[in-house]
Parts: sequence; C-alpha cells; structure tokens
Amino acid sequence: MQAPTGAKQKYGLGKLWGIFGGVLFVYLFLGFMVMPCLDTLTSIFSAKDAAGNTDPFAVIRFFFAGNMPSFVLNSLKLAVLLVVTVNIVGISIVLLTEYFDIKGAKILRLGYMTTLIYSGVALVTGYQFLYDKDGILTNWLLQFFPNMDRQWFSGFISVLFTMTFACTSNHALFLRNAIRGIDYNTVEAARNMGAKPFKVLLKVVMPTLLPTLFSLTVMTFITGLCAMSAPTLLGYNSINPEIVRLAGSTTADEAFPQARAALLSIILALFTIVLLSVLNHYERKGHYLSVSKTKAKLVKQKIQNPVANVLAHIYAYVLFVIYMTPVVMIIIFSLQNWQAIRSKTLDFSGWTLINYFGSQDYSYTTSRGKTKLRPNAISGVFANEKTIGGIRLSFILSAIAAALACVIVVVAVNYIFKHKNKKRSKAVEACLLFPWLLPTILICYSYRIFFNQNVWYVFGNNLYYAENVRFLIIMAYTVVKLPFALRMVKAAFYAIDEELEDAARNLGASSLVTFLRVKLPIVLPSVLAVFALNFNALFTEYDMSATFHSSHGTSYAMVIQSMCNEEGRDGMNMNASGRRCASTVFIMLVSGLILYLVYGVGARDLGERLAIREKRRKKFENLRNSIGLGGAKEEAVPVDVKEAVK
Amino acid sequence: MIKLTDIVVKFGDFEALHNINVHVKEGEFFTFLGPSGCGKTTTLRTITGFIDPVSGTVQMQNRDITHVPIEKRNIGIVFQSYALFPTMTVHDNIAFGLKIKKLKKDEIEKKVTEIAKKVDLSDEQLKKAVSQLSGGQQQRVAIARALVTEPAIICMDEPLSNLDAKLRVQLRNELKKMQKEFGITTIYVTHDQEEALTLSDRIAVFNKGYIEQIGTPNEVYNHSETEFVANFIGDINPLKDEIIRDMQLDENKHHFIRLERLRVNQNAEGEGVFKIQGVIESREYYGLYIKYYITAANQQLKVIEKNDGINIYEPGETVKVGIHPDDVMSY
Repeated sequence: MQAPTGAKQKYGLGKLWGIFGGVLFVYLFLGFMVMPCLDTLTSIFSAKDAAGNTDPFAVIRFFFAGNMPSFVLNSLKLAVLLVVTVNIVGISIVLLTEYFDIKGAKILRLGYMTTLIYSGVALVTGYQFLYDKDGILTNWLLQFFPNMDRQWFSGFISVLFTMTFACTSNHALFLRNAIRGIDYNTVEAARNMGAKPFKVLLKVVMPTLLPTLFSLTVMTFITGLCAMSAPTLLGYNSINPEIVRLAGSTTADEAFPQARAALLSIILALFTIVLLSVLNHYERKGHYLSVSKTKAKLVKQKIQNPVANVLAHIYAYVLFVIYMTPVVMIIIFSLQNWQAIRSKTLDFSGWTLINYFGSQDYSYTTSRGKTKLRPNAISGVFANEKTIGGIRLSFILSAIAAALACVIVVVAVNYIFKHKNKKRSKAVEACLLFPWLLPTILICYSYRIFFNQNVWYVFGNNLYYAENVRFLIIMAYTVVKLPFALRMVKAAFYAIDEELEDAARNLGASSLVTFLRVKLPIVLPSVLAVFALNFNALFTEYDMSATFHSSHGTSYAMVIQSMCNEEGRDGMNMNASGRRCASTVFIMLVSGLILYLVYGVGARDLGERLAIREKRRKKFENLRNSIGLGGAKEEAVPVDVKEAVK
Repeated sequence: MIKLTDIVVKFGDFEALHNINVHVKEGEFFTFLGPSGCGKTTTLRTITGFIDPVSGTVQMQNRDITHVPIEKRNIGIVFQSYALFPTMTVHDNIAFGLKIKKLKKDEIEKKVTEIAKKVDLSDEQLKKAVSQLSGGQQQRVAIARALVTEPAIICMDEPLSNLDAKLRVQLRNELKKMQKEFGITTIYVTHDQEEALTLSDRIAVFNKGYIEQIGTPNEVYNHSETEFVANFIGDINPLKDEIIRDMQLDENKHHFIRLERLRVNQNAEGEGVFKIQGVIESREYYGLYIKYYITAANQQLKVIEKNDGINIYEPGETVKVGIHPDDVMSY
C-alpha cells in the first residue's frame, strides 16, 4: 500500500546507519564496478605509438589490420553452433525424460543431470581424459576405425562437443519445469480434435515452451561467446582465452596487449548488453500462462510407431552413455594406480585410494643406471600440499564471497522492499544488476589492470600484489554473483506476506526484530540456497581464477588445470592424472551434497521438518520398546524401588 | 471506547477517507461494511496505527491515540491472511508478542496455555507448525495471538475471506461465540453483507471514503438511509415508470422494493396492497425458498417466495404481484 501523506518520518540511530550503509554502497559500487570498467574503456583510446604520443584509434586500426577479428569470429561461430547443438540435445533430453514414455526415464534423467554436479574445468579435463589422443575412448574407437585421426578431439570440434553436453544443465532445470507446467487437458483437447501426436507436440506443446527456450538460447549464446575453460584447455582461439593471454603479456612482447585485451572485453560486453536487452524486452512481453483453473498433470506420451519408439530409445540411451561415460570412467580411474591411469587401461589388481589419501615414494632408474627415490611423488588429493592448498584457498575465498554476496543482497532487498516505488530503491537494484550486463572476463580483466598499481581509492594499495590478490578475487567473485543472488533473494522476499510485517509491528516488534525474527527466517532457505549455489559455482570457477592466477591466487581450478601438464615430469607428480580424477570425484561429491542440502533438506518448511522429527521420534520409541527400554516398562517400576536405586 | 473524529486520509493527491466519524462502544461488535476500495480497511488501519491521518483524531478510552505508535496502542489485530509466522510453531506464534514485551518465561507459558485453552487449541496443536493446521485452527491461532497480550480492542480485517463457503459459516458462528465469551470490543471489516448482518451489533456502511449509514443490522437492512445502502445490502428491485405512475409515487425520486417484500397471488391480498398482473419468466430453486423472475408492468421483478411445497409457480404462468406502499424505499 502507498504510504499515506500524513505518515511521519522518523529520525534516529536507524537513519545514521542508513546513511553509513548508503555511503559504503556508493563507495563500493564506484570503486569495484564503475571505475575499473571505465578505466578499461578509456585504456582503448589512450594507447601510445612508438614515439610516445597518444593515438586514440591505434588499437582499433590494429584490430582490423591484424588477426584480432578472427577471435571474435571464432567466438561467434562457437556461440551460434552451440545454440543449435545445445538446443537439440537439451530439448531431446527433456522430451525424452518428461514428455515421451521412455523406459528407464528416471535413470536417464539422473544421467542427463550429471552436468549439475560436474561442470567447468573438471568436466573439460574429464572429456580430455576420455577423448584426447591417448584417451580411453579414442583408443577404443581406433580399434574399429584404424584410419581415424587420433587427434580428432582438439580445436573447434572438441570445444563444441564438450560444451554441447556441458551446457544442457539449464535445459535440464528450466525447460523441464516448463514442460511439467503444461496443462495436460490442452494435449487431450488437441488429440480429441484429431491432431496426431507429432502435431500436438509441434503445435500445442512447443509453443508453450518457446519463451523458456528463447531465454535458454540467449543464455547459451552468451555462454558460447564467453567460453573460457573449454577453449583454453582444448585449444581454440576464442575471445576469452586471448584476453587472459594478452592481460599477462607486455609491450615488450607485442603491441599494446592491454589495450587490445580491453577492446576485446568491451566487444564482448557490447554483445552481452545487446543480447540481454533483447531477452529483457522479450521477457517483458510476458510468457504463456495457463488459463486453466484445474490444471491436469502431464501424462507421458507413448510413441505409437514401433520403429520410432525403438529409435527414440536408442537415441536416449546413446545420449545417456555420452553423459555418463566420463563420470563413470573418472570415478573408476580415480581408484586406479598411476600406471593404469597413464596407460588408460583398467587394471583389476590396481585398485587404490592413493589418489585420495596418503602418499608414496617413487623409485626409478636413471640413464646412468642409478636407482633414485623421489619422496612423495605419488600423493592423494588430501595429502598433496599444492592440491590441498588450492582446495583450501578456493574454499575460503568462495565461502567468503558467497556469504558476502548474500549479506549485501539481503540487506539491499530488504531496503528495496521497504522503499518500494522510490527512485533510490530502483537505483540500488540497478547497481546490483549492473554486473549482469558485463561479461565476467571484463570485470576480472578490469580489476587486474586497474588495481595492479597503487590506487588512491583503496588507500594507495596495490590489490593485485602478493596476497592482496585474494581480496581482489573475493571482490570479483562477490560482484559477479550479485545479480543472480539479487534475482533469487528478491523472489523470496516477494513471497513474504506484507501482513506478517504488520502483525509483528502490531505485536511490538521493532524493524530490526521484525527483520531478524520474522522476515529473515522466511527467506533463509532461499538465502542459503543462493549461498550454496554460488559457493558451488565459485569453488571450481575457472574464468576468474585464470585471470587472477598468481602464486598467491592459485585456486582449485588452476590446480586441476596444472595436473594436466605436470604428470610424471622428472619423476614428480607421478599420479597427477589420478589426483585429477579424484579431485573431480571430490567436486562431484561436494556439489551433490550441496544440491541435496539446498533442494532436499533446505526446501522443507517447518511443518515438514516437525513431521519428520515426529516420525523419527516415534521410530526411536518403537525401537526402544522393541529392545525393552521403553517408557512403559520404566513406569511399571514401583516408586519405592526407584527410590531404593537412588 | 473508540472514537474517530473527522478523519481524513490521503494517498498522494487521492483522498481515501473524507471526514470519517465513528463511535464504537465498549464490548460492541462493530462492522465496517462496503465494497472494495471504499475505505473500510483504511479506516481500520488508521485505528490500528498503520496509517496516520492527515487530519482528525482517533481516541481510545477517551485518550487521543492519533499519533501513538502501533505497538503502544494496545490493539489486537486478526489479519485477512491471519499473518501467522510460518517459521514458528503455533506456540511461538502466540508467544511472540509476550516475548517482545520481555515477560518471564513461566508467565509466557501460563498465558499461552490459558489462551490456547480458551480458543480450544490442544497442547499437541501448540507444538505444530501453522502450516500443519486447518483453516479454522489457523483462525483460532490468529485470535489467540491477538488476544494473549490482553488488548483493549480487537480488529479483524476480513478474516474469513480466504475460506470456503461452508467453513466461513461455521467459523462465523465460532467467532461470534468467542467475542461474546471474551466480551472484547471488536471492529470487523468485511465486504460480505450476510457476514455483517449475522455478526454485528452495529454496522457502518462505507462508500467511496464516506460512511453512508451507521446502524443496527435491522436499521441498515430495513431502513436503509441511502440508495447505496439499500442497493448494497441485500438484493433489491428498482421500480420503473409504470409502477411509479400507477402507485402515484414521487416521480422525482428513485423507488425500490426488496425481493421478499413483493407478494405473489394469495399473499398479495390485503388492505392497501397495490396489485399488478405478471408472467413468470423463470425460476431458481434454492430449497428453502424459490426465486422468481416475473415480467410485470413493462419491467422485470425478482421475487422470493418461501418454499411451502404447495404454491410453486411454473414459467409462463400468470400471477398477481402485490406491492405494499409501506415496503417501498424512496430516495
């Protein structure tokens, strides 16, 4: 309800806190969003020529004269084709598990959803493990196709293949929800009017999915454009890896690398802004809403044509194998010794936990015939100092950033809702959504360049120097996760009945008490979910880690990447690949546990929690009774006997 | 008990309440009735302190509380959605206000137990989450929460509007019973005329930010002071030109008659009753009574007749319709 004209304004401690919070917010927004990005933008036009004169268009001329457009074109090519392949696979997996009656759909769904717990650098290295020139599957395929190119899994094809299966997570979540929201009566009505099953799918079901598909398409396009881990690890010249390369380069090596990196990030930002504007415009037009008051649950459609039915089943299981093989292989090989992993052949006598725990020495014979011992050359994830260091650093930085993003967003959203329809609340919201318009790489690159000097704004500190980089990583992590956190937490706040706040005030609760005891407990499951999902994403995050990679900022993703290169070099890190497999399994476990806690345990309301507690209590009582410790027997003991025992 | 004097509330340039004057007496069940957007909830929120009026005063027990903070007014509220805190148990919901007042733990327990007993909530139910309760039980929790702090009055903002018809009637009766038991002054907001008529000692009928009439249920129903009240409370037949002319009613006024005041055939007999010929167009069977749509004197008249099982008229049948001039309401 609109505030009445006669409402009183209150001044006091709360107001002071408000001013302090506002000043801090503006300080952080300017310092960690506006200034670094502006610096990047201006750096493009402040490049100096050989004579030391500023030449505003030098970089742009260089861009068109050199090979830089090829990076943009490569990224565009990847994005366009990715939209096609991801949509084909994404729509397929959703239709196969939710719309068509395919045998074993539950198992299939689990397989298709593995990308939720297995993504980023872990997934790319997993695919490499299977498909690269010495990969298990490459070797296996060569047995059937001897003339096949052993190095088939490299460059564009490998990136497209990997990302196609890595990027269907959003389809598995959002398109699935959309298809489950379809009113089955509409399908029945179409069938009743004589439409054949395929026509029903095309004319009734698909149109209702179009808005979701459009959003997914735009997001996939942006993902393709901003791809980082797959092109870097599999070798494909797209924009992001080039930005990171240029950011680490100097003028001694090539012409104005920083300004070129800035130009590339700005190009990426422009693409992102245009695409998100289109998406926003489309979303504002609204979605198809079911007008049905008694929505019927979708009934799975049996494919009537037997040939089509068999083909659909084959297709479903081929996809399942593609999704599951890397996961299964990684788990199996994480339990194999280094020799088996290196030869990529299963050794049934070589089962070990050394890739997870403990360490072993490695003895080898030199060319001079001497036997040497390399201590701890074989070590597990939790025994290897470098790996455990990466895990520790990523864990701490991700947890702090995820928590910080939640705190900022919860306070801001509470403010936004308190001052609904006011310009200042809209401004706060716009500031928090600002990073959404900018590609992650632009933010990171801008931080790296802007803060890699003594900056007056942060009290003359160099935030990229030594351990300061960790603070910079936290800030980058936080900023990048703000828009997602805002959207989720805002949705949770919308669910709070305004009358609850009135009720609490009526019962005498102050604003702070109302927030802490009434509103926060309601939104807490969503806030924890945001925290968990952000933590999950940041824990193995690659793009930012690669940009900030330094001796003090080697995160878990960078450690995993390094395991690809250092295996067995000079008799060291003999089981780097095994540790990589174990790392991936560890990530899957952490991600799976977090998703379970968020969507399994965290989604329960108080009623469900109390019901479970009651059920457990009854079970426990039954158990006590069955083993003769029940309360009934205790009561049967005469009081005087009890007294005597005392 | 509660006295509103010349209350004006504005939202920006829009004046939501125009000089509202109400006096609610001690122990009374007083209802604000009116259509959506008429100002009844705004008036209630002005009393409870969520809205500050631009001018006018709110007095409670002869004390000016116009600018007293919400929590210091000692008014209990039962909200439309009940506003029960979903993350707390029933017990904690009821105890919330007492904890805020920093009462001792055993005192809180005593008060919660007492009030729970009064509103018929068991110990088992106190341990439950509010989501585990039925609509009726939730209402009782909301009432208990509002009453446990021992407020001087209790305000209810359409507390039955989210329930289905059957439960509404059932809870309506319980509500009335509880109000009588506690003897607490109650201000009740509703747009449901039947609810207002059955529950209230007195009713204030709101329209466009004004109060059209304040009176007992009988006064507002049978002696509606304005055309709006007559139209809003119950169903009504507007009388058109031919009847107005034939009955020699004042042609400069609008004339109405309630459905049950029209008499058919033998009921139309009697002294001073004006009779016209009509044809039954259709009928609706309600069990206890039957509603007829009759065309007479170039207009349609709706008539309610008690279902005696004998005098039931068929569509197309010609009937005599009687109007007693005393039953005509003119504005």
